[in-house]
Amino acid sequence: MNFKGQVAVVTGGATGIGRAIALKLADKGAAVMIADINVAKAKETAEEIEEISGASSLFVTDVTNVAACEGLAQATIDSIGAADILINNAGIAGSADWQTRSYSTEEDWKQTYQVNVIGMSNITSVFRSQMTRRRSGRIVNIASIAGREGRPSLPHYSASKAAVISLTQSTALELARSNITVNAICPGLLWTPMWEQVGDRHAQAIPAYEGLTPREVFDTMIAERIPMKKEQTPEDVADAVAFFASDDAKNITGQTLNVDGGFFMR
Amino acid sequence: MDFEGKTAIVTGGARGIGRGIALELAQRGSNVIVADLDEESARSVVTEIMAGGTQSYYCETDVTQQWSTDGMAETALEKYGQLDVLVNNAGVGGAPDFNSRKVPTVEDWQATFDVNVYGIVNGTQSVENYMIERGYGKIVNIASIAGRAGRPGFASYGASKAAAINVSQAWAFKLAPHGINVNAVCPGLIWTPLWQSIAEWRKSTDDQNAGLSPRQIFQHTVAESVPLGREQTPEDVGKAVAFLASDRARSITGQALNVDGGIRMN
Repeated sequence: MNFKGQVAVVTGGATGIGRAIALKLADKGAAVMIADINVAKAKETAEEIEEISGASSLFVTDVTNVAACEGLAQATIDSIGAADILINNAGIAGSADWQTRSYSTEEDWKQTYQVNVIGMSNITSVFRSQMTRRRSGRIVNIASIAGREGRPSLPHYSASKAAVISLTQSTALELARSNITVNAICPGLLWTPMWEQVGDRHAQAIPAYEGLTPREVFDTMIAERIPMKKEQTPEDVADAVAFFASDDAKNITGQTLNVDGGFFMR
Repeated sequence: MDFEGKTAIVTGGARGIGRGIALELAQRGSNVIVADLDEESARSVVTEIMAGGTQSYYCETDVTQQWSTDGMAETALEKYGQLDVLVNNAGVGGAPDFNSRKVPTVEDWQATFDVNVYGIVNGTQSVENYMIERGYGKIVNIASIAGRAGRPGFASYGASKAAAINVSQAWAFKLAPHGINVNAVCPGLIWTPLWQSIAEWRKSTDDQNAGLSPRQIFQHTVAESVPLGREQTPEDVGKAVAFLASDRARSITGQALNVDGGIRMN
């Protein structure tokens, strides 16, 4: 597996899972564009990548802003070249203070859909011409096991991630004839800053978890729901993303792969 | 390389998809036991692997017999001192001459379940105690996109492959706490001896296909049903198996991955 000479774009690439994906692709030789709204962290990750693969760039990108997405596409070409690989990773779990509520507000629904689904569509739209022109490309969307089945506590988030899986399939069909593959990864339980907040939310919204700390909720869910009895890591997700982004997966498209220790089996 | 110093068994490794898997694992450093009944073809795969620099051995194996797969596992341990990967690939489309019949007979149902389902169960049962004791192991079962949804025609084959996916999930659950990953790959349209038989069957059962050669029937099927517009290859399946059998897929278990150019999206 080798991405030498290839250009990858990772949205939400500054921190967490996105950062791990960016570092993994860089480790295999790719030049990486970090698209994020967190400038300081994006700069740190871009500098790290520069040291690994020799080429990186960053662009402040709000995926809900079409003009910003177009700016990202142009900035990618201008700085490191046309994109071979696009990783749609940027996502949110609700509107401000979502973790402090036990229910979803209209704003939670709107903003989550705006970023996780419409934002993904925006980004894909601005990069598809770069890829179709060369009849080659790899797109990997980060969904979630939350999108595999309706669950209590975060209905707006689950629904948005189910939409990501659906969007992945539609885009795969649209772009297949241009030799572009589109697949999704569903990360399982990863102890990230976001999950710490999910734990808070679950403790309020799900009676069985009442009174538990976020980490206790997390550990309980692993014990109850994950056959491998282990949490997953950003590196686990990054390895699966790298597989879909590589030539090894050139005849795989429209698929959604769970990286979840067996939480859901499909 | 992912499989340096490791040992893999590939059942049905003499021809078609199994051969592609055996060669791919060998290229990535693995010693390979080619477990099959077709000695001549198996020996040519062994020769090919050894020319590439890793070890290989033909083990006469009937996967429908537990004593035979027990012997296969023992041979691997005797020859190479360890066993890391089992690929349950052996499969049949029906009883002998199934492609001359319009509908499956009871013999066809029996043959597909004997090989495609019990073959996986036998192979797995022959290695699981060793892998549990060692706390490490990778099992990849070759199902089919025919197992993803019922279709008229050779229902016995589709049903047996659906069972193969289900069996993979059952063992994924069972073996997950022991550090053993069990996954399945669902190949799409691949020009193998099996598909040649299917094409001959379609030629004899559908007047529309009467004037076409088996290869032409296959190519028509590819053009009509594969979004990426091309056939899949044994190498494609080999690469997906190599990913799932590697430590890069350490947190993936119980999954079935379609390698089918987007025919079915799961």
